[in-house]
Amino acid sequence: MKIYRCLAVTKRVFRDLKNDRRTPALMFLAPLFAMFVFGVAFSGDVKDVPVIVVNADEGSTAQGVWISLSEEIISQLDRQMLDITTLKSADEARNDVEHGRALAAIVFPEHFTQEVITASFPGEIQVIIDRSNPNVANPVLKSITAAMTGTMQEIGQEAPITIHEDSIFGKNASFMDYFFPGILSFVAYLLTILLTLITFVGERVSGTLDRLLATPLRESEIVTGYALAFGLLGTLQSAFLLTVGVLVFKVTVVGNVAVAFVVIALLAVVSQSLGILLSGLAKREVQAIQFFPFVVLPAFLLSGIFWPIEAIPSWLRPASYMIPPTYAVDACRDVMLRGWGLEKIWIDIVALVGFASLFLMIAVLSLRRRD
Amino acid sequence: MQLVKKFGTVTAVDRLDLTVSEGEIYGLLGPNGAGKTTIIRILSSLLVPTSGEAYVLERRVPDKSIASNIGYMPQETALDTGLKVTELLEFYGEIFGLPRSAIIEKENELLRFVDLEAWKNTLIAHLSGGMKHRVSLACALIHDPCLLFLDEPTVGVDPELRLAFWDHFHALKDTGTTILITTHYMDEARRCDKIGFIRRGRIIAEGSPTELLEKTETTSLEDAFVEFSRQEVTP
Ligand SMILES: Nc1ncnc2c1ncn2[C@@H]1O[C@H](COP(=O)(O)OP(=O)(O)O)[C@@H](O)[C@H]1O
Ligand SMILES: [Mg+2]
Repeated sequence: MKIYRCLAVTKRVFRDLKNDRRTPALMFLAPLFAMFVFGVAFSGDVKDVPVIVVNADEGSTAQGVWISLSEEIISQLDRQMLDITTLKSADEARNDVEHGRALAAIVFPEHFTQEVITASFPGEIQVIIDRSNPNVANPVLKSITAAMTGTMQEIGQEAPITIHEDSIFGKNASFMDYFFPGILSFVAYLLTILLTLITFVGERVSGTLDRLLATPLRESEIVTGYALAFGLLGTLQSAFLLTVGVLVFKVTVVGNVAVAFVVIALLAVVSQSLGILLSGLAKREVQAIQFFPFVVLPAFLLSGIFWPIEAIPSWLRPASYMIPPTYAVDACRDVMLRGWGLEKIWIDIVALVGFASLFLMIAVLSLRRRD
Repeated sequence: MQLVKKFGTVTAVDRLDLTVSEGEIYGLLGPNGAGKTTIIRILSSLLVPTSGEAYVLERRVPDKSIASNIGYMPQETALDTGLKVTELLEFYGEIFGLPRSAIIEKENELLRFVDLEAWKNTLIAHLSGGMKHRVSLACALIHDPCLLFLDEPTVGVDPELRLAFWDHFHALKDTGTTILITTHYMDEARRCDKIGFIRRGRIIAEGSPTELLEKTETTSLEDAFVEFSRQEVTP
């Protein structure tokens, strides 16, 4: 293996891209377009969600003044997002949620204020919520929590309940924040596979691959050259998207961006090997297009881009762990939302390195196969 | 040797014995589907023979170690159409590990030879078929190989340039290059030192153009080929 030959291949990929305006446009503008579409469609502007409030709280008199913390919390709820109806009975409220007439019900118990103020019991708010659509449920939960924490801060006490989701999504994470690491991984995966798949089917069909293999250039050098090129392209692409994400969509990145780039570069290497592999199965360029659904759908549905892996039926979950983007999405999210470093996402990195080595090897073998 | 190559049930090369001597231009002559391309691809280490042995530069093929001494020009144009002419030549120069200055020098020489100096910054995709063929030949020559495999190098090349190609092949031969060339143009085969008539994967006659004409008492190689085919069928 000679590095100058690998680099010659890498250079050829970039020369090809330089002469062709459409492919770079596809690599950089298509994900941007997707981001805008999703950004607008899901930007967290959840509005007029029917929510029921059942307030049995009797309030409490402290130093001669009657106060009701529940009233205070209710007044702080986001009325843009929540369309609030008041009911008397918790059972009735639950029934409404169960039948889809309301997305959530917030129930304040009878001695809520008293318990919180005297701190005799931890005050407890019951939130009955329909979580079938996390894209709605999460912002709603967040808004309830915000109202509650706001009120508690005013009286200088800890929140009576903590809502689990809040810790997962980070304090102020919007849907875009959550979605963004997913789209970085997804476009790196998808576009790299499609580009290498089409390029290599072309190389096989036109005979340029034969011509290359009749020179001292080895299969492993071709694959390495391409891996370098696409690793670099993946990094450039995510740097570009990240810049737009931060500037336009106000995406917050908590962790070290460099770690996220390493993850994306690895994913791009995995994807380009997959592209080369698949190219061996296609006899003509059109046939390559028939692979697209098999490439796109599993990644789209199973890798946790839009909804968490935990939301996927357990019998299907092993499939999630068999596709590489899952690890990249997970790692990027950990880095960008939770601020985790290499020491915590190493399992994902190991998985991606494993996939990369395996697929690179098979890709080399698939080029070596002669009839 | 007794080289055999089968594709499924099709026998493309059938117990073939063939020797090309150093420094000669050997022409493989035969109709489409005779097995010419398959032979060249085996000798270029791109196909593994089904049985038999083939040696190139004293190495049994397939063997990667001799690749840097071989120039291969495939039958189909097989060029990366997304590159400019100079970029493609430079890429091939880089693969062979040539220093930058040598690449530039050789590139200019070859562009002059294939008469594409005016097109050197054009994308391959925008060239005509004949021009692509000329680029393809230039790619095979960038590293001054001592052995050339040329698969139908003159298809789609206009007559004037075809003459120039042959002049160049003879110039290369004079510098000691060995050339194995396939063609189905009988007229240009006259300019080979030795010809092998090939039919259904077998050599049916071999010799210098004049020898072959004398043996069959014909005046054109085309007639000679027909005569040998007839003899094959009725031995
Ligand atoms: N990859 C292949 N798969 C199946 N058959 C092939 C393949 N390559 C060549 N052949 C068959 O082998 C025979 C010889 O082909 P080829 O060597 O291309 O002939 P020529 O170059 O003399 O026209 C033909 O019958 C062709 O159909
Ligand atoms: Mg042929």
